[in-house]
Amino acid sequence: MAPDEFYVRYYVGHKGKFGHEFLEFEFRPDGRLRYSNNSNYKNDTIIRKEVYVNECVLAEVKRILEESEIVREDDKHWPEPNRDGRQEFEVVLGGQHISFATAKIGSLLDESKDPEGLRIFYYMVQDLKCLVFSLIGLHFRIKPI
Amino acid sequence: MADEEVDFDEAVEIPDADPAMDVAPQETKKGGGRKVKGRGTSGGSGQVSGQFDTLDAKGGRGPMRSIEGWIICVTGLHEETQEDDIHDKFCDFGDIKNLHLNLDRRTGFVKGYALIEYEHQKEAEGAIATMNGEELMGARISVDWAFSRGPIRPSGGSSRS
Repeated sequence: MAPDEFYVRYYVGHKGKFGHEFLEFEFRPDGRLRYSNNSNYKNDTIIRKEVYVNECVLAEVKRILEESEIVREDDKHWPEPNRDGRQEFEVVLGGQHISFATAKIGSLLDESKDPEGLRIFYYMVQDLKCLVFSLIGLHFRIKPI
Repeated sequence: MADEEVDFDEAVEIPDADPAMDVAPQETKKGGGRKVKGRGTSGGSGQVSGQFDTLDAKGGRGPMRSIEGWIICVTGLHEETQEDDIHDKFCDFGDIKNLHLNLDRRTGFVKGYALIEYEHQKEAEGAIATMNGEELMGARISVDWAFSRGPIRPSGGSSRS
């Protein structure tokens, strides 16, 4: 496996009275960033955006992932996805491949067997979302959320 | 940043050029000997295939214009950098239309990157040519285009031969 392999995907969503509502983004090694946001509330429609980011942006995504050390975590003790929703997080980086699934994290005060792991996951997701929202917001001039 | 809604008519729909690439690596690389850690997302909720809006691009290499201007990405920023520091350095090249200096959600300090929008390509080019490799707050920064007109390397990476 090539050490320069790289892939990131994050999904958060739930199925409820407004249908399947979710947010998802994905970075591929060739720079392709895809962003989807489906909110059926007040008949909002799905937003699907695609743009290629440059090397420096991919490098920043990798840096955020590496500094979080998320690939050292494991979802084994995290809450299982449930009716209130699920998060999925998949990363291929530095010869490692993680594919996590867990419930939505409403509060970091939730009782958990792995509070520190969940905290690392929570903040890493916040930081990545923040970057993606800026990229999509500036490129397409939308407010992603 | 400006809060007006996007005019979606300015975005064009293009068909997905390469649906085979939409399969998550997990599914395409089975048998590659890599261990996947975690519950996995097989049969999960992936929505990353289908029709996506893009701005009209000719493809190929080179910087990509955004809907209202040209975006550059500054990386390597010192964690105590403030918007004013960026403004002072980068307003020499043209009016800064937008500046995103995002914070680390855990520490509240600057995460380390900034996105800057100029109206004209020449302004952004000037900022990249002059500021890339310079020091700001004692940190050496990198400056380059944020977006590309097309893939920055062969699709799927080197391992998918």
